[in-house]
Amino acid sequence: MRTIKLASVVACLALLFFPGVAFAQSDPGVQGGPARAGLPLASVNANDGSSQFFQNGLARFQDIESVSNSPTGNNGLGPRFNSNQCSSCHSQPAVGGTGPAMNPQFAFAGSSVAPNDTTPSFITVNGPTREARFPFFFDQFGNPNPNARNGGVEDLFTVSGRADASGCSLPQPSFALAQQTNNIIFRIPTPVFGAGLIENLDDSTLLQNQAANANNNFGISGTFNHNGNDGTISRFGWKAQNKSLELFAGEAYNVEMGISNEIFTQDRPLPGEDQLGRGLPASCLNLGGSGYPEDTTNFTAKTGSDQFATNASIPSDTVMFAMFMRLLAPPTPSATTPGSAASIANGRRLFSAIGCATCHNPTVGNTQASNFTTSLSSAPVNAFSDIEIHHMGVGLADNVSQGGAGGDQFRTAPLWGLSQRIFLLHDGRTTNLLSVIQAHQSSGSEATQVEENFDLLSPSQKQDILNFLRSL
Amino acid sequence: MQNAFSRSMVLLGFSLCLLVRAQGAPQSGGDFANNPQAKKLPTGVILVKGAWSSASDSVTPLPEGGRVADDVYNNQYFGLTYALPAGWIEKYSGPPPSDSGYYVLAQIRPADTFKGPGRGSILIAAQDLFFTVTPAGNALELINYTNDNLNADYKVEQPPTPVTIARHSFVRFDYFSPIADLHWHVLVTQIRCHMVQFVFTSRDTKLIESLIQGMNTIDLPADASPILGTGGGDVPICIKDYARDENVIEREEPVFAERTFNPVPVRIVVDKEGKVKHIHFLSAFPAQAKSITDALLRWRFKPYLRGGKPVEVETGIMFGRLPRLMTPQSTDAVNE
Repeated sequence: MRTIKLASVVACLALLFFPGVAFAQSDPGVQGGPARAGLPLASVNANDGSSQFFQNGLARFQDIESVSNSPTGNNGLGPRFNSNQCSSCHSQPAVGGTGPAMNPQFAFAGSSVAPNDTTPSFITVNGPTREARFPFFFDQFGNPNPNARNGGVEDLFTVSGRADASGCSLPQPSFALAQQTNNIIFRIPTPVFGAGLIENLDDSTLLQNQAANANNNFGISGTFNHNGNDGTISRFGWKAQNKSLELFAGEAYNVEMGISNEIFTQDRPLPGEDQLGRGLPASCLNLGGSGYPEDTTNFTAKTGSDQFATNASIPSDTVMFAMFMRLLAPPTPSATTPGSAASIANGRRLFSAIGCATCHNPTVGNTQASNFTTSLSSAPVNAFSDIEIHHMGVGLADNVSQGGAGGDQFRTAPLWGLSQRIFLLHDGRTTNLLSVIQAHQSSGSEATQVEENFDLLSPSQKQDILNFLRSL
Repeated sequence: MQNAFSRSMVLLGFSLCLLVRAQGAPQSGGDFANNPQAKKLPTGVILVKGAWSSASDSVTPLPEGGRVADDVYNNQYFGLTYALPAGWIEKYSGPPPSDSGYYVLAQIRPADTFKGPGRGSILIAAQDLFFTVTPAGNALELINYTNDNLNADYKVEQPPTPVTIARHSFVRFDYFSPIADLHWHVLVTQIRCHMVQFVFTSRDTKLIESLIQGMNTIDLPADASPILGTGGGDVPICIKDYARDENVIEREEPVFAERTFNPVPVRIVVDKEGKVKHIHFLSAFPAQAKSITDALLRWRFKPYLRGGKPVEVETGIMFGRLPRLMTPQSTDAVNE
């Protein structure tokens, strides 16, 4: 009884002397409990084979790749790579997600994965999984040259010293110099839940949504990135630089894991290795011993009792990664946590009223008819993204151009699944949603005015928005 | 002795060679360079621009060329001068013009040190009528479109209504978000085929009214108005889609080395002889701007006649992609 009284007095005193603290809004943080994502779309089933394809893709997404001599045939890793398994970086809160709390990359250097390498200082045990890019090439004196754009991925690790990669010795890029000269930026993995819905949006839907959000009085006017081959709207990646999931998968397999495939058919040297006019050394080519590409269609797949399972074993890894992503259901939001149902509902309306939803559209529209599975047909895409690229100002600019996107332009990041995302913004610089919102405001940003509107709200209204965002 | 001297000189030369070699360029450049004294790149600067705005000369005023100086926003292109409220500043500049002809001209807010009552913001923006994706032929239609398509969460406080401020004609449109307890009061007028708008946002309507009262000192072209507003004076006449076949005597399409599929909106001024005298790219990659400039300088237009005399014309042309087919309620904007 006395304890309760004492607590009441302390609480009253706290409210009296620290009202700002008592009512200040805060990020509810990553939501616990079961993963709210990771399941296949509702229409995926074993009777039409889609379930077998989903399961097969899911399994391949978790395969650990070797350079050569893998007992399961998963060869071709490297000679440069950021990880040896898709799901090591795409695992939070379930396979297909984004980087986990414990960074798997921290354990690679010095282990059997990358024995001769050292861990770059920006890779930490509890930090975000990352890829690194140098916006500019260095000159021969080690100075970054602003007239020589680079922007390609600088893989963190090499196969040097691995037992299954004899004869190949490669240096790691000069990450310390890049950090010392401000010539490095980072990207974290984008989650791929619901990606099949985004893939199946017709351009006309996106264009209509753009027109509907024009003339918005918030200072916002975005544009689209386009695929260089056919001119249609591209939509995957931090700058919407990739057109389709198959292209996205093929590029990641090649760039992040060093595995050549039917879309990107050669082992990839670093941009600097090409700049020096030599590419990869011969001693680091065809390390798997089977020729190129390292990932191919399986001509010799063995027939099993389940015809659909046999069919699923025939396509290449790249095709099956894309199929897994395509058939992954979007995350399921909570209607009641964090905060309360009323707070979340209020936050959703506030999010729209102050202009956030001009870009982070609750739904950009419905998908077109799908030839894969019915869940992808005429379905709302509640991604909270317009799939446009927007100028985000000097505070977020990374000085990397991809397709039509310049150094300060980014795709509106889909917010579905935000409840269980740990690292935020394109480079994982923060885990705090309030910092993310504030980062939308800087010179050159289309979102400055909306951030101003957020600042005009009361602490409880801001809290409602934060609760809403962490309910997604 | 001579031999010893020669040997010494050879050794010295060899040593110097080694020294020069040791201090020379590192053998591995590119991603593998190493130099403890390397130069740093600046932070907080956009060094890699995508499609961006540019112009064929640095003298002709541009819509996005306005600046805040000495607490006054001045825009030569629009003939606009606006004194900021006391204690308010432009903390962050806006993005570059969009490829649908939208300009964030200035974003005004109280300084961090501001001690006055109420908080809010003033957005000064412009939407041109050359490239807008909204079906409107003048500023009044644009603001009516906004009113007609307002999200159901907002409540209209005052539908678009003509008002006069500092002897200038505007349309005023007020709306309110009950859930956010925020008010938006919008004043628009039309200058040189652009809808110029002031958007006041705050929870405090008294603050907004005082800010609108503060516009009494605003300076605009005398001919600015919501429907047929012009730049007045000796600025070019603006005509949407003047580059139609019937007005172009000689046309040469630009040759692009690489197709990037981005829309390239271009605003041009045609002189009295029908030659292109000024080119403004709202959004273009440098190579696109060069190819289009090379082509446009060879174009010849019919001189536009007013009262029987040729005058300069300002218009917009979309390269790269076809313009959106929008049907304005009025005829195409022609502001004489």
